Amino acid sequence: MSKVCNILPMSAVNVLNLVKKYKDFEAVKGLSFDIKEREIFALVGPNGVGKSTTLKMLSTILSPTGGSVEIFGLDIVKDSKEIRKIISYLPEEAGAYKTLTGYEYLRFMASIFFRDKKQVLKTVEYGAEICGLKDKLKDKVKTYSKGMTRKLLLSRAVMIKPRFAILDEPTSGLDILNSFEIRKIIKQLAKDGMTVLLSSHNMFEIEFLSDRLGIMNNGKLLACGAPRDLKEKFSTNDLEEVFIKLIQ
Amino acid sequence: MRIFFILLKKEIKEMLTIPLIVSLVAVLFVFYMIGSVVGKQNKTSAARNNVVVLDFDKSGLSKRIIKSLTDGEYIVKDASSGNLLDAFSNHEYEEESFFMVIPKGLERDFNLEKKHTIEIYARFNKNLSGYSSSYSASKIRKGIERINKDLGVHIIEKKFPLANVEFIKNPVLMEEFVVIGDSIARVSVKRVLLFVHSQTYFFPIAVFFLVFMAAQMIMTAVAGEKENKTLETLLSSPIDRRILVISKLSAAAIVAALLSGGYMFGMRSFMSGIMGQKTAGIALSAQDAFVKLGLIMGPADYLMIGVSLLFCILCALVIALILGVLSEDVKSVGATMTPLMMLIMISYLLPMFIDIGRASFVVKLLLYSIPFTHAFIAPQNILAHNHAAVMWGIVYQAVIFAIFVTIAGKIFSGEALLTFKLRFGKSK
Repeated sequence: MSKVCNILPMSAVNVLNLVKKYKDFEAVKGLSFDIKEREIFALVGPNGVGKSTTLKMLSTILSPTGGSVEIFGLDIVKDSKEIRKIISYLPEEAGAYKTLTGYEYLRFMASIFFRDKKQVLKTVEYGAEICGLKDKLKDKVKTYSKGMTRKLLLSRAVMIKPRFAILDEPTSGLDILNSFEIRKIIKQLAKDGMTVLLSSHNMFEIEFLSDRLGIMNNGKLLACGAPRDLKEKFSTNDLEEVFIKLIQ
Repeated sequence: MRIFFILLKKEIKEMLTIPLIVSLVAVLFVFYMIGSVVGKQNKTSAARNNVVVLDFDKSGLSKRIIKSLTDGEYIVKDASSGNLLDAFSNHEYEEESFFMVIPKGLERDFNLEKKHTIEIYARFNKNLSGYSSSYSASKIRKGIERINKDLGVHIIEKKFPLANVEFIKNPVLMEEFVVIGDSIARVSVKRVLLFVHSQTYFFPIAVFFLVFMAAQMIMTAVAGEKENKTLETLLSSPIDRRILVISKLSAAAIVAALLSGGYMFGMRSFMSGIMGQKTAGIALSAQDAFVKLGLIMGPADYLMIGVSLLFCILCALVIALILGVLSEDVKSVGATMTPLMMLIMISYLLPMFIDIGRASFVVKLLLYSIPFTHAFIAPQNILAHNHAAVMWGIVYQAVIFAIFVTIAGKIFSGEALLTFKLRFGKSK
């Protein structure tokens, strides 16, 4: 079992010795960490180190080969149906249905989670408020820029007010302004009570957003802690240097 | 059910795009336009019953030959003032394709019972296109038959003035009967075949379009969702994955039925333009015989064909769904669809050219093992009173559908949906 992170049993999310194998390739090699309620936890590392695979396992769309994950006391294998009611997952570089308008897309996704029409409407209004796309929500998604689509998808992911939001590279490919707005939204959502797990390879973003982070390489967790603690531990002012030192 | 309808609505909206509707309308217009142009053109060609005659004999016999043609509703144009080459180059006859040369001395040789030759020249149009040439060939053949028959009568009248010419012409009366199952009716085989053809001609085309389009749509839908990662979003939501599968299948079937109906409408106007009232006339004149032979399908027959078609579409959809999962992205759908297309083509084309009942065991096995074949041949089986074959076909299709639905269900309930991949060419 990994001893990189101290795991508290009462945490919102407990990941214990998580393994994912694809035939001969082991993408995740015994990952262990926990996320406290209302915390923003980031998985950091270069492309292809197993961040997205970990997030997909926590989203219940991939099955772990070994280890266990509990989300608010529910097991991701045994209680996957229940977990899907309290989580929301934003895949990396995901798209929305291009033939729908932004508004229709939000309504479609809200209808999946809520039966009551008033609740659906309220959720869509909240989503519209978060994404800030205003009148553009009446346009088809295919007319949106990458930044607009990402904002729409992020608002889709969080408008249902999930207990646990899993965001894979939330600002990937976005310009400075759009990235800044999305980071602000995520920060506010955590303040409002949402537990967030995100992945990124942007150290600046991680430093700004996360309460704690886990640095991954080759499917393993190399270090875990608050950005300030890690910088102190490695005697540097920069998270990027922490990462480089860890790899070397 | 609520979630099912929400997903169904979304799927239909995704599949029934404006470019698709525009392309359907364009195809309908092209079908209609070609049908009406070809129909008009063919009517004009069929109405041209002209014969350019160069009568160099100028005898009573040659006049009788010309009268025989005019009695047969041929319009005879006399070009006897010049030779054949003059007639060919004459602007007046430049549209004509049927030229007849009655040689000098025909009557004299005829009276001496010596065979003589009447020359027929069929002139093709310059690009050998269209139906005009075949119309001309048919008219020429009928014209020659008419002349020979008439000259035969002329000889009989001359040699045996007291003979019963009508009896000699047709000494035995022929009556054709057609037997289908236990039913027998007095009707010509040609009429029955034409009627059966008219009843079953459109069906395989409709099934082909329907199955092809439905399969393509569902594969594109699944591959598109994989490519866009919208599928990952749906899979991490509380949607029951079985409903996800059923909604996709249903939407593809509905949209394909709509499009197929549209294509069939266009194809029908196209074919009716070409074939005109020919088959309709035949159907009316031999209606009683067709009823007696059980060739007029009743509601139960249509129901059986409908059920067979339904299972055919469902089988194609569920196989396409699995193939869609194997597609890496929308671009690779064409290649991934090949196995399904091959099966559809075999079951569509082979029964058109071979008699399955008399085919070898291997061919029979091949055709009957493809679930689509049973739908393609259902109307013929119904018309041939072979209801059992249709029933067993439906049972077989249902079994195949159940097997593939189980496989699809397993794929959608596991992670294979995201990890399955068929790659063509270089991998990334």
